[in-house]
Amino acid sequence: MAAASRSESIKLWFRKSLPFWLIMPTVIVLLIVQVYPAFYTAWLSFQERTREGWQYVGFENFERMFAAGIFEESIGHTVNFLVGYTIITLSLGFIIAFLLKSSGKLSGLYITLLFIPWIIADIIAGLVFRILVVPEYGLFNNILGNPNLFPPDGLSILTAIRPTPWFGSFPFPPSPAMIYLIMASSWRALPFVTLLILAALQTIPSEVVESAKIDGANYLQLTRYITVPLILPAMVVALFNLILGGMNGVGMVFSLTGGGPGTTTYVLSYYLYTLGWARLEFGQAAALAIMIAIVNWLLIAGVLRTTRVTERSI
Amino acid sequence: MNKKLKVIFSILLVALFAVTVSACGGADDVAMVAELEAKLAEAEAAAAAAVSAEDLEAAQAALADAQAALDAASMVEEEFLTWYQYDETNEDPASDERVGNEYLRNSIPEFNAAYEGTYNWVNRPKAWDTMYQELVAAVIAGNTVPDVIEMGSQWIPLTVKNGAVQDLRSWAEQQEWFADLDASAVASCTGLDGGLYCIPVAIRPHLVYVWADHYPDGFPDTPEEFMTEAARLKEEGVYAWTYFGSTAYGGSGASRMVWSLISSFGGEYDDGDGNLYLTSPETIAAVEFLRETVALGYNPETVFAGGFLEEDSFKDASAGAIPTGLFGYRYINPLTAPNGTAYAKGSSDDMLDAIAAGDVILDHMFAPEGTTPGCGNDVAGFSIPVGARNLEAAYAYIGWLMTEEQNPKFVLGPGAGYPALTTMLDSEEFAIPFYQEAGEALSGSVCTPYYGTLENRELAAELIMNSVYKLVKEDPTADIFTVFSEAEAEYNAGN
Repeated sequence: MAAASRSESIKLWFRKSLPFWLIMPTVIVLLIVQVYPAFYTAWLSFQERTREGWQYVGFENFERMFAAGIFEESIGHTVNFLVGYTIITLSLGFIIAFLLKSSGKLSGLYITLLFIPWIIADIIAGLVFRILVVPEYGLFNNILGNPNLFPPDGLSILTAIRPTPWFGSFPFPPSPAMIYLIMASSWRALPFVTLLILAALQTIPSEVVESAKIDGANYLQLTRYITVPLILPAMVVALFNLILGGMNGVGMVFSLTGGGPGTTTYVLSYYLYTLGWARLEFGQAAALAIMIAIVNWLLIAGVLRTTRVTERSI
Repeated sequence: MNKKLKVIFSILLVALFAVTVSACGGADDVAMVAELEAKLAEAEAAAAAAVSAEDLEAAQAALADAQAALDAASMVEEEFLTWYQYDETNEDPASDERVGNEYLRNSIPEFNAAYEGTYNWVNRPKAWDTMYQELVAAVIAGNTVPDVIEMGSQWIPLTVKNGAVQDLRSWAEQQEWFADLDASAVASCTGLDGGLYCIPVAIRPHLVYVWADHYPDGFPDTPEEFMTEAARLKEEGVYAWTYFGSTAYGGSGASRMVWSLISSFGGEYDDGDGNLYLTSPETIAAVEFLRETVALGYNPETVFAGGFLEEDSFKDASAGAIPTGLFGYRYINPLTAPNGTAYAKGSSDDMLDAIAAGDVILDHMFAPEGTTPGCGNDVAGFSIPVGARNLEAAYAYIGWLMTEEQNPKFVLGPGAGYPALTTMLDSEEFAIPFYQEAGEALSGSVCTPYYGTLENRELAAELIMNSVYKLVKEDPTADIFTVFSEAEAEYNAGN
């Protein structure tokens, strides 16, 4: 009797704990590839590497980072990049998705063609965009170098100096290289955003649209009150993706401009790369990584709050 | 699970087991050697304990057999691992690193033949601009590091600070070739603590490659003469010079033409006490001069574009001169001379041929009256990383490189400089027009490493180059003293 009840209780325990064991491998993987590196980075941000090994330096890495002139400047460049990159990509993605949805013919072909940028590595895409504007022999040089189009001496993207800032030291308007970098990055991210929005557009129930039309809604009203609210969750997902990709991506900057000309495209992610990988200042790089992570969280929280999109509605 | 799946799973498991067992082959070798050593010990004991002559004979035969078996088993070649920026498997004649690639292609079999049965040289190619960072990361993470790594002297502080390379002084001083090493080359490999962190093999000074037809009277000796010549060339539609003026690659431009110019004007980057010092009148005068040449359009725009695009203007002779490292001949090709002669092998031979033909001449940087021309200098050598597994092979390799037969091959190939072994320069390999020209060009100048006493060279180079770029290109009206003072303050505050 006792043995039977024990066997029952073991079975019950096993049944109850089964989900725990099933998700255990995933939890272990997450602990190894996400949680441990995050804690290690936090630990690293208070250390400095010496010949003898790691040495605790308190908040010195943060102090040094804030004191570096390029830090403040790179924040400005990052803001420029993020704003330009997200607005251009989202707007174009929205327009292209709309066009693709409304024209059924050949949309499969268009989507296939549209996906080409997405399958190219950003380093390669950056190199190709760079070659297009190389002074002297770049493919676009005849246009860009034309003084009538770009007075007084034409435009050399990779060497053009930054315009005089309008707001103190904040780097606005952005340099031609920054604008070009934004365009190249948007070009690459566009397929993903377009497809995301297109998928959302296709889930809008036709009954809702028909009802609105019967009620006399015009095209603009349909878009404003039906389409946009219904695809907003997808737009927010796209926005998250763009913000995180824009904040953390370094490949395109590395291969297209290398932070230059001068420091005009020196964004935070490139600064992080330089600190960690070129100067091997691991402690400072970790401190900057923590700052970037905090900014990422704040941006995401801000977007969620502004758009009032909750997990439930997504 | 159905039967088919079970069979597939079983086969996969057996395959995995087989792979695991074969991967443990190395351990089997070790076990076999240990077993044979035990047998040898037994045979030795039996020989020692033998009473009769017959016993002794049998024991000696057993001993000989055991020794032979052990020798045969010990003949397993040890892997000797290097990290070079070259790749012996890359046979692309258009590769930027074709000279180094070819060098390795020839050297690896030679080394392996010389050490047959002992070492097997395996090279792992690495990107030149991330090789040392990878080394540091590998040392910190406890991963496999090479037994020997190609080392540029400018990387010594970074690798030493991170505990990535070994102090070789005590070993090196016992070697015959050590006394023959150029003192300045040894100094370049010496850390601030006095340790010797690389063995110098090639010294690479900076000089100016000049198209003779564009400068029929030779490259100017003074800045004033240069401005006159530059104005003349501009009228002819030719840029006076081209150089690496970009901020890319962590400000490496600070070690190139910019340093040659500033040091020729008598300026410096450090105060001799580890601080950044850019506000001397001489340094400011050099930057004022450079700013003027840029404003007058004496250089192509590619100078500031990065990616070594500036070299193209020298290759097609649209620029008259290019100040760069002696090693530049490896990369600046193919060439078309102003008179139309094409040097188009697409290898380092192009520049050597152009020099031999007199189309290209080598010269030193110009300097104001009463000042000795300066230039940059760095050393190419080899380091042994901390954690290298095969120290004996590493020592053997460095010793092999220092032989009369091997040393010129490296120096003339990827080393692309002067031999650090002073007596080596007398050998016939170096009796070519290129070295004669370079020797004459450099005889009138003093070449020094750009970093002087600066410890954080990466930060210094970036700050210097960002400042110079801002002053000469971005904001030519900015006050030089103010911009340089800001850079000094930032560097010196962190040191």
